[in-house]
Amino acid sequence: MNGRNLSATPTLTGRAGALFHRYANPGRFLRLGDRMQPWLTWPALVLTLVGLGWGLFFSPADWQQGDSVRIMYVHVPCAWLASSGYFALVVCSVLSLVWRHPLADLAAVEIGPVGACVTAVCLATGSLWGKPMWGTWWVWDARLTSVLVLFFLYLGHIALIRAFDDPQRGYRAAAILALAGGVDLPIIKFSVQWWNTLHQPDSITLTGAPTMSHSMLWPLAISTLGFTLGFAAIVVARLRAGVMESRIRALLSSPRRARDAATEQAA
Amino acid sequence: MTHLPYILASYGLALGVALVLSIGAALRLRRDRARLASLEAARGGTPRRGQAGGSA
Amino acid sequence: MKRKTRRLWLVIACVVGLGSAAALTLSAFSSNIQLFMAPSQVKAQPPATDRTVRLGGMVVAGSVRRERHGETPVNIFDVTDGQAAVTVRFEGILPDLFREGQSVVAVGSMAPDGTFTASEVLAKHDETYMPKEVAEALQKSGKWDPKFGPPPNAASWNAMTSKDSKAAGQTR
Repeated sequence: MNGRNLSATPTLTGRAGALFHRYANPGRFLRLGDRMQPWLTWPALVLTLVGLGWGLFFSPADWQQGDSVRIMYVHVPCAWLASSGYFALVVCSVLSLVWRHPLADLAAVEIGPVGACVTAVCLATGSLWGKPMWGTWWVWDARLTSVLVLFFLYLGHIALIRAFDDPQRGYRAAAILALAGGVDLPIIKFSVQWWNTLHQPDSITLTGAPTMSHSMLWPLAISTLGFTLGFAAIVVARLRAGVMESRIRALLSSPRRARDAATEQAA
Repeated sequence: MTHLPYILASYGLALGVALVLSIGAALRLRRDRARLASLEAARGGTPRRGQAGGSA
Repeated sequence: MKRKTRRLWLVIACVVGLGSAAALTLSAFSSNIQLFMAPSQVKAQPPATDRTVRLGGMVVAGSVRRERHGETPVNIFDVTDGQAAVTVRFEGILPDLFREGQSVVAVGSMAPDGTFTASEVLAKHDETYMPKEVAEALQKSGKWDPKFGPPPNAASWNAMTSKDSKAAGQTR
């Protein structure tokens, strides 16, 4: 009876697996990444500068927060990327644990530090916003604490994935950590609804009109798009470097062949 | 502007971190590309498919 | 292929198990995760006078009194959750965002006379962001008084530009 139940899954995983492995080929990724890089880097640069410039100089001050609201144009994109970056890490971990996807392992290595950086900027800008508005740098409410936990999850992942001599073991342990830490993502998202917090609820929701004037929403959207493309650009650049480094390691680990080739050429 | 130091610190921090990450990635890419090219050259002269060519 | 399928189900089972464990833990500790107590909770079960608690709610319109005892300003105001109100006494400088109708979190303890002595007052702003002109136009048109709670439905004002709101302000 189990056999019939599972009979559909092998084809599904098989087909999906074939699709993933098509892009798991590092050589193919290097070519794709080479072509993609300028399309990420330049729009990211332009949109980030437009979004932040608009937010800093042209968007209106808030009726009660005054100019401090401008911190939002860096804080919110970083908060969004902290969670999205971790979500990408979770996706890589599933690809790694189930399909042994080699590119997903290299991607997880490169996403970790970038995600930790945006989470740190999110926490720091949140503090810089909280001090003048709330009257405190930090408070142990559910939103702030769950984002701090996310930061520690990133740090743990960074350390664990590099902790073993055999990289495969590191990939596996870090993937399990990232997957388990995934429970923090819904906690971050819903913390402001489930519990009372000092942090305000989300202004932008799927269900209602954004409780934000459009004159502030536009620079926020542009800046968020710019930061997101910038995150992708940095991760793709690091991943290209990571693929090359793994190839360099492979070349160096067979030194005899390399040396033979060199002497052959010299002769 | 009110609370200018807090605002400038936030923007400066975000841009500083972005700059460090971008420059770091670019340098690493350049170094690895050169290293790989020299290894490939030492190995056999003919670079394999999808190799270190292309722009940053 | 079979092994991949087995690994997939293993991962799904672990995620489901871990997720439900986390959900149960969080719901069990839910009251500890709350940052503050509401005035009605404090009234129903007053915490011991030596215990530091956080009291959260809206500052009641017309309840704020500022006194001066020598050099230190003393602020006395009521905080409500709509069901009960507690009087808070705070010596010190209030945050910029403090006003009537604003949500605040007061850190301190209950005094024997049933009032709350705060050592720290934090302002909790809401999730609405609008330019000053729009806020003024909404107030002038009588659609909103910040002293009594949050602004009206966002769809009614979030597309207003400052030019619109100036025009609206002039016609009133």
